[in-house]
Amino acid sequence: MHNSKKWKTGDYILFFIVAILALAFFFPMLFSILSAFKTNGEILKNPIGLPKRINFSNFFYLWNKTSIPRATVNSFILTTVSCFFIILVVPMSSYVIERRSGKFSSFFYPLFLAGMMIPFQAYMIPLFRELRVIGLFGTMLAPVIIYISGASSFGTLLYCSFIRSVPKEIEESAAIDGSSPFKTFWKIVFPLLKPCTASMLILQGVGIWNDFLMPMMVMPANQPKTINVEIFSFIGEFQVRYDVLFCGTLVAIVPVIIIFIFLQKYFINGIMAGAVKS
Amino acid sequence: MTLKKTGLIKRIPVWMAFPSILMFSLFVIMPAVMSIYFSLTSWDGLSPHMQFIGLRNYMDLIHDERFWNAFRNTIFLAVALAILENIVALTLALILDKVLKARTLFRSIFYLPNLLSGIVTGYIWVALMNYSFGIFNVVLNHLKIASINWLGNPGIALWSIIFVMVWKGAGYYMIIYIAGLNSIPSDILEAADIDGVSPIRKFFSITVPMLAGSFTINLTLSLINGLKVFDQIVAMTSGGPGFATETLTYQIYTVAFSEGKQGYGTAIALILFLLTMVFSLVETKLIRRFEVEV
Repeated sequence: MHNSKKWKTGDYILFFIVAILALAFFFPMLFSILSAFKTNGEILKNPIGLPKRINFSNFFYLWNKTSIPRATVNSFILTTVSCFFIILVVPMSSYVIERRSGKFSSFFYPLFLAGMMIPFQAYMIPLFRELRVIGLFGTMLAPVIIYISGASSFGTLLYCSFIRSVPKEIEESAAIDGSSPFKTFWKIVFPLLKPCTASMLILQGVGIWNDFLMPMMVMPANQPKTINVEIFSFIGEFQVRYDVLFCGTLVAIVPVIIIFIFLQKYFINGIMAGAVKS
Repeated sequence: MTLKKTGLIKRIPVWMAFPSILMFSLFVIMPAVMSIYFSLTSWDGLSPHMQFIGLRNYMDLIHDERFWNAFRNTIFLAVALAILENIVALTLALILDKVLKARTLFRSIFYLPNLLSGIVTGYIWVALMNYSFGIFNVVLNHLKIASINWLGNPGIALWSIIFVMVWKGAGYYMIIYIAGLNSIPSDILEAADIDGVSPIRKFFSITVPMLAGSFTINLTLSLINGLKVFDQIVAMTSGGPGFATETLTYQIYTVAFSEGKQGYGTAIALILFLLTMVFSLVETKLIRRFEVEV
C-alpha cells in the first residue's frame, strides 16, 4: 500500500541514505568474501578492489593443508547432535512444568529463570573440573552435554510460553481416548509447537556453530576442534596469510547465511520470542 | 468435570522433565554453586587438593590494580556499548519505518553482522583496522591524514572494539525496535496528523512512550551482553595493548588458564556474576520509574 504512493523528494533522499548505510554495513562482509578469492599480495596492496581473477588456490590450500575440513565436519556434527538432543529433552520438561501446577513447577520455573542470568565464565572453572572428575573432559560428548544443559534454562521458558497457548481440551480428549501423556505430548502437542521449535533450533544452532571458548577448552586436545576454534589457531600459524584466513571465515559464514536466507521469518520470530522471555 | 480435568493434567509423569532438569542441575547449577567454594581456595587447576584460604582471594582483589582496571573497562565497555547500540538501532528502525521500498532487504543487511561469530567478526575487523593496509588508514592517507593505530593505541583500542560491537549488535536491537514501532496503533498517529501535531512533538509524545517496552528489553539485553564480550577481544587485541582492553571475562580466562590461578579466577568470575545481577536489577528499576513518569 505504501508502494502505490507517489515518491516525494524526501522519500528519494531517505532511500539514498538507507542505501548508503546498508552498503557501509555490508562492506566488511563483502571485503572478507572478496579477500577469500585474492592472493595475499593483492589483499595487502589493494584491500578494497575486486580480485584480478577469481583465484581458488586458497581453497585448495585450505582443503589440503589445514585442519579446517575436519573442523567443519566437527562443527556440523556438534551442532546437529546438540540441537537434536535439545529438542528431544527441553520441550518435554517444559510440558511438565507448564501443565503440572504445584510445588514441582513453582520450584523449577524460577530455577531455570535464574540459570539464564549466569554468564558461562562465572561457572566454567568448576564445570571443567567436574567434567574431568567424571571423565568427560576432552571428549566430543562434553560440549554436547554443556549445550543441552545450557539450553535447558532458556529453552524451557521459551517452550512454556508457547505451551500455555495450546488449548488443554485437545489433550484431555486424547487422554479420554486412552493416549498416555507421553504419547499425547509427542503426537499432538509437539507438532503444534513448530514455530517455537523452529526459533529454538535457529537460535541454538547459530549459537553453537559460532561458539568459541567452551569448545576450545573441552574438546579433545591435539585434534582439530570446531571451525571457529581452528580459525583462531590460524593466526598463530599463518600470521600474514590473510588469504587463507578469509577463506576459513567464508566457510564459517556461508552455512549460517544460507540458513538465514531460507528461514528469515524464524530468525525474526526467534529474536522476538527470545527478547520477550528475557 | 473440573476435578477430572485437573486429574488428567496431574497424570503427566514427572520423569518427562528429568533429563533436562538433571542436566541443568548437574552442569549449570552445581558448578555455579561450587564456584563459591572454588573462590575460597588457592587451587591451581592441576593439583588434586584444594587449599582452603578463606577470603584471601577477595582481599587480594581489593588491592589488585589489574583487576580494577578490568572492572572499569568492563563497565565502560558495557555502558558505552549499550548506549551506542541503542542509538544506532533506534535510528535504523525509525529510518526503515519511513523507507518506501526494499525494507526487508535493508533490514536483513543491517541484521546480517549478527550472524557472524565473535572470532570471524574480530578477524575481519583486524584486517580492516590494520595499520598499513587496513581500509581506515588507506582512506585517511588519501585525505592526507596520518595513519592511526586503531588496535595498538591504548587510548583508542577499546573504542575500536566498541565500534565493531555496535556494527555487529545494532541490527538485533533494531528488529526489536521495529516490532515496537509496528505495534503502535496507526490511528493514534493519524489522529495526531489530523490535529496538526508537529513530527517532533509526535515522536516524543507518542512514539517514545509507546516504545518503553522495547527500551527496557534492549537496554537490559545490550548491557548484559556488553558485560560478557569475550571472543572479539581474544581475536582483536588479546586484552592489549598492555591491559587497555582487558575485561573481566578476558581476565578470568588468562588468570585461570594461562597463569593457573583458578581459585583467584573463580573469585573474579563471581564478581562478574554479581555485576550482571546488579546491572539488570538497577536497570529494570530505573526504567520502571521512567515508564511511570511517562
